[in-house]
Amino acid sequence: MEDSQPRWSFPSGQTVVSAVVTAFAAILVLYPIFFLLQASLDVGDPEARPPTAYGFDNYATLFQYSQILLNTLLVSLAATVMALVFGFVIAWILSRTNVPGRRTFEQLMAIPYYVTPLLGAFAWSLLGAPESGFVNQVWRALGGEDHLIDMATPLGIAWVMALFEGSVAFVMIGAVMKSMDPALEEASQMMGAGRLRTMLKVTLPLVAPGVLGAAIFVFAEMLGSFSAALVLGMPNRFYVVTTAIYQFVSQYPPRLPLAAAMGVSLFAVMFVMLYLYRRVIAGRSYVTITGKAFRPRVMEVGRLRWVLLGTCAFYVLLSVGLPLVTLAYASLQRIAVAFPAAGNWTLDNYRTALTLNAVRSALANSLVLGVATATIGVVVMGLLSWIIYRSRVRGSFVIEYIVMFPQAVPRLVFAFGMMWAWLVSPIPIYGTLWVLLIAYLTVFLPLGVRAISGVMLQIDKSLEECAQMCGAAWFYRIRTVTMPLLRPGLVAAWLLLFIASVRELGASILLMGPNSKVITPAIVESWFATSAELTAAMALIQTLVVALAMAVFLSVTRRASHPGGE
Amino acid sequence: MSGFTATGSTRRNLLKAGAALTAMSMGSMAARHAFAQQILAQVAGKPPTKVLDFFTYADVAKAEQEGQLVFYCHENEAGTAAIMDGFRAAFPKIKTSYVRAQTGALYNKILSERSAGRFDVDVIQFSDLAPAIDFQKRGGYEPYVSPEASAYKSEYLSTPVGYFFWTGVTFAGIAYNRIKVKVEEAPKTWKDLLDPRWRNAMSCKISASGLQFVQWYTFTKLYGPDYWKQFANQRPRAFDSRVQLFDRLAKGDDKVCALAEYAAYILYKDKGAEVDFVAPEDGLPATPLVVGMLDKAPHPQAARLFVDWAMSNRGQAFYQSNPNLIYGSLRSDAPPMATGKRLRDFKLLFPADFADYMASQNIYNKEWNAMLGL
Amino acid sequence: MADAERISAATRAHIEVENLEVRYGSVTAVAGVSFEVRPGEQLTLLGPSGCGKTTTLRAVAGLERPTSGAIRIGGKSVYASADRINVPAEKRGLSMVFQSYAIWPHMTVFDNVAYGLRVRRQNAQEIRDKVRRALDLVQMGAYEERQASQLSGGQQQRVALARACVFSPSVLLFDEPLSNLDAKLRADMRIELRELQHRLGITSVYVTHDLEEALAMSDRIVVMRSGRIEQTGSPAEIYNLPRNAFVADFVGSSNLIQGQFRPDLAGDGLVALETPSGHVMYGMAHGRTVGAAPVFSVRRVHLRLSFAPLLDAAGMRNVWPVRIRRCVFEGDFTQIHVTWGDRELVLRCVAQEPIAEGREAYLSADPARCVLLEPA
Repeated sequence: MEDSQPRWSFPSGQTVVSAVVTAFAAILVLYPIFFLLQASLDVGDPEARPPTAYGFDNYATLFQYSQILLNTLLVSLAATVMALVFGFVIAWILSRTNVPGRRTFEQLMAIPYYVTPLLGAFAWSLLGAPESGFVNQVWRALGGEDHLIDMATPLGIAWVMALFEGSVAFVMIGAVMKSMDPALEEASQMMGAGRLRTMLKVTLPLVAPGVLGAAIFVFAEMLGSFSAALVLGMPNRFYVVTTAIYQFVSQYPPRLPLAAAMGVSLFAVMFVMLYLYRRVIAGRSYVTITGKAFRPRVMEVGRLRWVLLGTCAFYVLLSVGLPLVTLAYASLQRIAVAFPAAGNWTLDNYRTALTLNAVRSALANSLVLGVATATIGVVVMGLLSWIIYRSRVRGSFVIEYIVMFPQAVPRLVFAFGMMWAWLVSPIPIYGTLWVLLIAYLTVFLPLGVRAISGVMLQIDKSLEECAQMCGAAWFYRIRTVTMPLLRPGLVAAWLLLFIASVRELGASILLMGPNSKVITPAIVESWFATSAELTAAMALIQTLVVALAMAVFLSVTRRASHPGGE
Repeated sequence: MSGFTATGSTRRNLLKAGAALTAMSMGSMAARHAFAQQILAQVAGKPPTKVLDFFTYADVAKAEQEGQLVFYCHENEAGTAAIMDGFRAAFPKIKTSYVRAQTGALYNKILSERSAGRFDVDVIQFSDLAPAIDFQKRGGYEPYVSPEASAYKSEYLSTPVGYFFWTGVTFAGIAYNRIKVKVEEAPKTWKDLLDPRWRNAMSCKISASGLQFVQWYTFTKLYGPDYWKQFANQRPRAFDSRVQLFDRLAKGDDKVCALAEYAAYILYKDKGAEVDFVAPEDGLPATPLVVGMLDKAPHPQAARLFVDWAMSNRGQAFYQSNPNLIYGSLRSDAPPMATGKRLRDFKLLFPADFADYMASQNIYNKEWNAMLGL
Repeated sequence: MADAERISAATRAHIEVENLEVRYGSVTAVAGVSFEVRPGEQLTLLGPSGCGKTTTLRAVAGLERPTSGAIRIGGKSVYASADRINVPAEKRGLSMVFQSYAIWPHMTVFDNVAYGLRVRRQNAQEIRDKVRRALDLVQMGAYEERQASQLSGGQQQRVALARACVFSPSVLLFDEPLSNLDAKLRADMRIELRELQHRLGITSVYVTHDLEEALAMSDRIVVMRSGRIEQTGSPAEIYNLPRNAFVADFVGSSNLIQGQFRPDLAGDGLVALETPSGHVMYGMAHGRTVGAAPVFSVRRVHLRLSFAPLLDAAGMRNVWPVRIRRCVFEGDFTQIHVTWGDRELVLRCVAQEPIAEGREAYLSADPARCVLLEPA
């Protein structure tokens, strides 16, 4: 008789793990959002929990703060435009011209991301404060009047944000340029069109949708940005939505429902933006599935090449070199000025920073948390990527939406929801490193999944299918074929998550407790409660320690992947 | 040596404040009775032990076994760390950890934590009496009468004794950047701050600051509500800590500071900053710094030990002389501050009608936040 | 043939596909396909891109989930929509060679081939023996320890083949395995694959869009278009007796001549059609009914050109005067376009001296080579 399978059978290992991981992700993401919404509709006694009355009053109050909303739009628009200009120009130079050292610069362009906008904000504050800024001091010494630059303005904030977001814009626009078939331009040239005409009539229109997509994405990110506005804007009474939320939460008495309503509004706008983004890039794949990337036609630039090279170098200098040097300069002085007297130099700031218990425990916590986030994150996000892009599970697009959801929520707002959610939960993790770990894993889901799936999609499906045909079950396939091939991507994702976790501010500033201090919010607290010089010292110590940690990790993984070690 | 004997208006103010407290905080007869019993029970049968150079009812061995102290404080980072350093120097076996936030935010935090059932804090220090009294009413403090309490006048202790005590007083005048502001132009009185030339060039503290609340209240009484309306026109910038205020002042980011704490002035002067201090005739707003042990503290013996240490000469000397603190001590037998001055050398302004003061907090918060753009 | 006999006793199976339907949303990739593969034969699915041949193959493999239908291998049901049976690919015991070879770059040649055996938990000695044998079979024995990523396309192809055969599967599936190779290599590999398949006697299903490949290698061919089967049969059948216009033109270029049925001219087993321009063509019906719009299919290579009037054995049948329109030199062949009445016919012949345009000539076609297509 035929040996047919029973109608009902145990779900396979693949299904079980997929279900568990999906449920985990869904809870992580949706639980805080629920509390956020609940808080925004709370119009009863602010101290009563759960809320006693519901209504839309909080949203109505938002209109009183229209100035803040306008500020946010203004700063975000300015920052987006600037970031796009940086990104486009440098993407063009590095992928369309024959400027020397292109490969090196492409790697250098990733560094601003590691330096973080917070450090940049500190440094530019030291450089560009109207009275005490180094640049302005030099300006006055040279005979100028008043001040040359003022960082404490919307434009100043946008500038700092753009310097760092520029590298994100660069990566996105660079990908667009690489996915364009050079034959299209060659055809134009064959018809007799000159270089400029080709660029205007062929290249730009082809690149436009991708650039537009990058613009929308960057704009959405700028809406939720926090560090620059915190350091440069708040002291000067200039608020954007994220810093206003932070203020409302930490004021006494706090206005949590209002903060929640602001958060939900911001989230709604970002959600729309990101929806638009997906529509714009629908159909354009930024990931070359067959592994084939076009090599764009390279323009000969002759003598201009040094100017262009200089432009790239200048960008990296402005976004990385200058801030680090400025911080070092300030951290070695008693009271930071542009032209210090001999007696102004001191190592006290470093001495204090290293002995401050808060700093040492915060650094240790951050490193531990970073390793935990990166390690757990890589596993969870790897599984999620596989479920979304490789398994043929029905409804994988739902999982994709859940995973990408945190992109639409500013991290501070997310943390606010979490703070609320975990404060009232019976599980005692509030105020511990665990709640920070959960917060980080949640807000980094889009980041990690995108990074890993990018690499995953470049692995030809047939490699896994062949393993299947050879009789390998799901887990065996993943272990012997997928993981080894994914390895470089997983290492990169680990590093990305580690850095993101250590430099995270918005999510952690609301969730820190006395025993769970982490370094970036601690540095911000220091900025507001101690001297700028001490803060500069702390910031540099953080940068150094993180760089060391990364170097250690890289050398460990390189040694482990030597042939013969498997 | 005789310590602090307030003279003139300062003393009168203090007495008024103390009297108001007494009238306010003791409710029914029954409550008073129960409380007395509690204190007797605590004291009965146990003589205070001498540790180092002060007395304590705490079980020192147990405190060291507990091995930890969690401290919530309004001070800036360096100040809070300094207090912890001082305690740890005396009791190295007890690990300290702290959270600092400006008084308003601090109070906010402790309330929401406790309402969620989290009791992780041992001792708390505010820079304002209002939250301390409110906290006492809510049963946030655990009553503990220190053997060192006898060295303090009753007006500098809670009513009834044992909830909190005044570990020091901080007060503020006007400060300005000597290079940006010529001596002739510098403000001499509080009213001078309203001069339009200080528009966009002045700093003060955020609404969560206890001292700022005191300034607001006392000036409203002194000069009327119009004072602050005009002050708002100056578009001042507000900051969290005195260190930040003086940092900016020293660098010239602000020209004038409207709430310049004497302690910070001393600190920055020693650093070589180009700042000058003015003590206007009408008086200097002052606020007590109150310390108390919390109910359901996770390390109760260590908490008691800390309170005793803070109250003792040892602790008070530390509070007075540490450059990050420079508090004025209220202990009857305390020596002068590091600069040689005593609290009585200044004309201090305290809120006279305490009930009114506490009741006006909401108005203050709304007004002050609105003034700062939120 | 000792190998083949051994294998035939233990592992022969045949494949049955019944009413297979595969739909993706609103797109139907495979619309009701049924065929059988006999033990030891090679069946080729042939058709243009998008015809559903690869989808069908992958459905048999278990890599695609069909919408409805049934698939049985060796009598065992591996997919049956009615009974909700769907055996996962790794449990079907089939083997597959992929178009992109799917050689794992992070393993050596040995590890690549040994993978299937390791999955089946065979012991190290057995694995070594079987792998060596499989590699020898494809003449890649010397490359055992080489990193797979260092191989050329052709070498990777052989390793993929070795890997597919090593665990003695009952069925081999090929997904356009030669399409990434250059023409010369393709021709050689074709022969090797055929010999291997014969030697091992494994049942195989082969997918390709290349006509020559299909004709050279298959025992039977299934011609597919738009998710449906157009014709099933041996290479000779498909080539000589196409059922419809599509098959006729796809499997070797054909001239399609439509005409009016002239029953009065029928005889000697031949059928006659008259074209609109008055030409009469004789051809064979092969048992097919004539239908309303009968069409003859005549292969290009079956048309003959001469400059002297020909006398057909049956007397001037299928001989017409034509005019040369164009002459294209194609190396081994020459393709000539002639004007025939009101239309053009194309013929292919062995290379000859170029013929001037406009020249008059005579075209003839053996009636046996003019095939009546089935009615539409």
